[in-house]
Amino acid sequence: MRVARRAGWGAALLFLATAVAGVGIVTAAPSGGVTLTVGLDQEPPTLDPEASPSAVTYQIIPDVTESLLYQGLDGKIVPWLAAAYKVSPDGKSFTFTLRSDAKFTDGTPVDAEAVKWNFDRVVNPNYRAGSALAALSGYAGSTVVDDHTVRVDFKAPFAPFLSYTAAGTLALVSPKATQAQGNDVNLKPVGSGQYVVSEYVLKDHIILTRNADYNRRPPWSDHQGPAYVNTIVWKFIPEAGTRVTTVESGETQMISGLSIPSATLAHMATEKTLRIERYPYPGAPRIWLLNVKMAPTNDLKVRQAINYAVNRPAIVDSIFKGLGTPACAPLTLQTLADKALCNVYPYDPKKAAQLLDEDGWRMGPNDIREKDGKPLTLTINSINYGSGNLPEIELLQGQLLAIGIDARIKSQARPPWYEDNYHCATNGPVMFLRSTDPDGLFALFSSVNVGSNFNWSCYASPDMDKLLQQGRETYDPAKRRAIYDQIEKILVDQAVSVPLVDEFSVWIVRSNITGTKYNFSGYPVLTDVKIGK
Amino acid sequence: MIRYISARLLATVPVVFGVTIAVFSMLYLIPGDPVKMMLSEFQTSPEQIARMRAQLHLNDPFLVQYGRFVWNGLHGNLGSSIRDNRPVTQEIFEVLPQTAQLAVAALALSSVVGVTLGIVAALRQNSWMDVGAMMVATFGISMPNFWLGLILILLFSLRLEWLPAAGGGDLAHLVMPTLALGLGAAAIVARLTRSNMLDVLRMEYVNTARAKGLGGGTVVMRHALLNALIPVITIFGLQFGALLAGTVFIETVFGRPGLGRLAVDAIQNKDFPLVQGCVLVFALGYVFVNLLVDLAYAVIDPRIRYG
Repeated sequence: MRVARRAGWGAALLFLATAVAGVGIVTAAPSGGVTLTVGLDQEPPTLDPEASPSAVTYQIIPDVTESLLYQGLDGKIVPWLAAAYKVSPDGKSFTFTLRSDAKFTDGTPVDAEAVKWNFDRVVNPNYRAGSALAALSGYAGSTVVDDHTVRVDFKAPFAPFLSYTAAGTLALVSPKATQAQGNDVNLKPVGSGQYVVSEYVLKDHIILTRNADYNRRPPWSDHQGPAYVNTIVWKFIPEAGTRVTTVESGETQMISGLSIPSATLAHMATEKTLRIERYPYPGAPRIWLLNVKMAPTNDLKVRQAINYAVNRPAIVDSIFKGLGTPACAPLTLQTLADKALCNVYPYDPKKAAQLLDEDGWRMGPNDIREKDGKPLTLTINSINYGSGNLPEIELLQGQLLAIGIDARIKSQARPPWYEDNYHCATNGPVMFLRSTDPDGLFALFSSVNVGSNFNWSCYASPDMDKLLQQGRETYDPAKRRAIYDQIEKILVDQAVSVPLVDEFSVWIVRSNITGTKYNFSGYPVLTDVKIGK
Repeated sequence: MIRYISARLLATVPVVFGVTIAVFSMLYLIPGDPVKMMLSEFQTSPEQIARMRAQLHLNDPFLVQYGRFVWNGLHGNLGSSIRDNRPVTQEIFEVLPQTAQLAVAALALSSVVGVTLGIVAALRQNSWMDVGAMMVATFGISMPNFWLGLILILLFSLRLEWLPAAGGGDLAHLVMPTLALGLGAAAIVARLTRSNMLDVLRMEYVNTARAKGLGGGTVVMRHALLNALIPVITIFGLQFGALLAGTVFIETVFGRPGLGRLAVDAIQNKDFPLVQGCVLVFALGYVFVNLLVDLAYAVIDPRIRYG
């Protein structure tokens, strides 16, 4: 028996030795130098700026592709690839005078022909454009006036076009390279910016290499010529905990704060090696669009009661601390500041209860209100990214229960979530919409977008449609402002939504990294980054 | 032997057939219009939706569509990704080596560690080593792999700074995912090896082998272990399926490229051709490994070969 035991140990050791060999030798992790590694929460569906429907693309692309105009954090629209622009008196035509020294990284010039080719590409029915298509609503065509002058015509005046031209959606790609590369434009679009996409490894990373020939000074930059950092690596790290670890250990130098719990964020704020950068996202806040066609949210008093019953500061304090501020209206305060709207629906459960009482909803069994024998129940459409209900919706559920509303959560994956929104099949989804212009409200509340993207309040009002169109056609800033103020006031009075949180674009950066900048969309621009010791 | 192999190969045909039907039917089983869902984030005209429907041949009868799916599949064509229009097979093959590497490493780890612990526990039954090995095994079975993954990251990436937390590519990136994925499976293998070894060590032929004067090593390795391994190998086949499923979590936790991540993102992006392709490859991988397991029986146990 002793012999057998000894042999058993031998066998065991042999197996262990194989195991160690199987695991392999540990090599050192790749490290910085003049490489900036940024951890992103997800992979973009495509890098082609004109094809993407996703914000992820526009977080990466500002260093690679350029637009005609630029909108900085102050909201001012300034020339970029266009040296100057002019709007026709009827507001339907935009004439851009292009810089003569701009070239795509394949060596071809950024000329009028290229601008026309890009815009025509977006509206071509054989091409599936992403957010770019909405940015060219009513596009009638472009005309090449001369090599460096292009006129873009619309069927009707289209004031938001200037802001949309400054956003990443209408960034230009090289016509020559794009036509030659076929589907690879999704991985390695060729722009005119300070970086070139040199490597794309699916589900892992994208490498941007410095464009050494870049000789201009972009509007945000502190210098003329190429970017400071040689290489930028965008790593896709979906798990928030892992992403946090990488920036704490220095494996990455910057990470996206998306889906990082606010408690973790607060902890990171205390670390000396890290810095947290926040910029408000423009557009619509995190918002619950109330379906005005389906009971019980087809009843104005119920919708108003819901607005009084929702404790926004509590939602921010418990879930979005450091990630946003309480929202007041269907546009964030940064997009259209009207603080008066914050006072329309203060947190007032008593007032909410009173409204429901007046409306005939009396408290019934199990603390759920009833009217004509029917309980006050509603369904919130909750998108499930794989980790369950969105926490803010669970909080909403609790807050509504306190005034006798039985809110049920329909938690589902993205495809059926969209389907229900198109069919107005729930009492509305919780969502957000990024837009650099108040015209984002057109997508949310114009009747043409019921059953499509994104009028999921299913709100159809001829007066509202008229105002939204007027907003599009008015250039005078003061008049335009007055129109959108009026629109927001109607939307808030009609309580077609429950604005929840004005969210921030949040990035955690290691302290030795300087020069990070952000555009108006809240996306990072990394061409001025320097890496210290 | 050839008869046995051909019988096993033939047996996989209906399984593969069933898999293709299940994968193909996915498109029909989900509620709503698949084309509208695929394009939901885009502003599309009815013409574009009609064109997409025609492109995917969704207007044809079910059987014609299924026939085309199988025929194209046999020719290595699983369609194109809705998102970026690249061939599904190309996207799968770009990430497949990473998943295969992880699954094989985890399987190797689980078998080596599991069998070793099992042997030690059986040879020293009721000793502190037995108790210790089985405690480790129970711990291994109880831990969810994604939790273990996060703990490993905290320890080896954040505290010790020995290993990179996220990404794929080199061996350093493989260590923690392999441990996170393989240790749970090792625990199951350890428990099974132990109980089978204990049974076999009590068999008459083991006593006979010892009585004939064979060395302890020969008795344990050739007579006891080989016989004890047959049920363990069955578990390998089943475990491989669990490991493939585990890669979905592990690849997400460790930000590793791979088939699991590709599938999850494809589901999120409503990219049906890509989802179908990923599920098909997962299923075929599982069928293939179980075929290997069947063949391994024949190698280890001549009774199966000739039976």
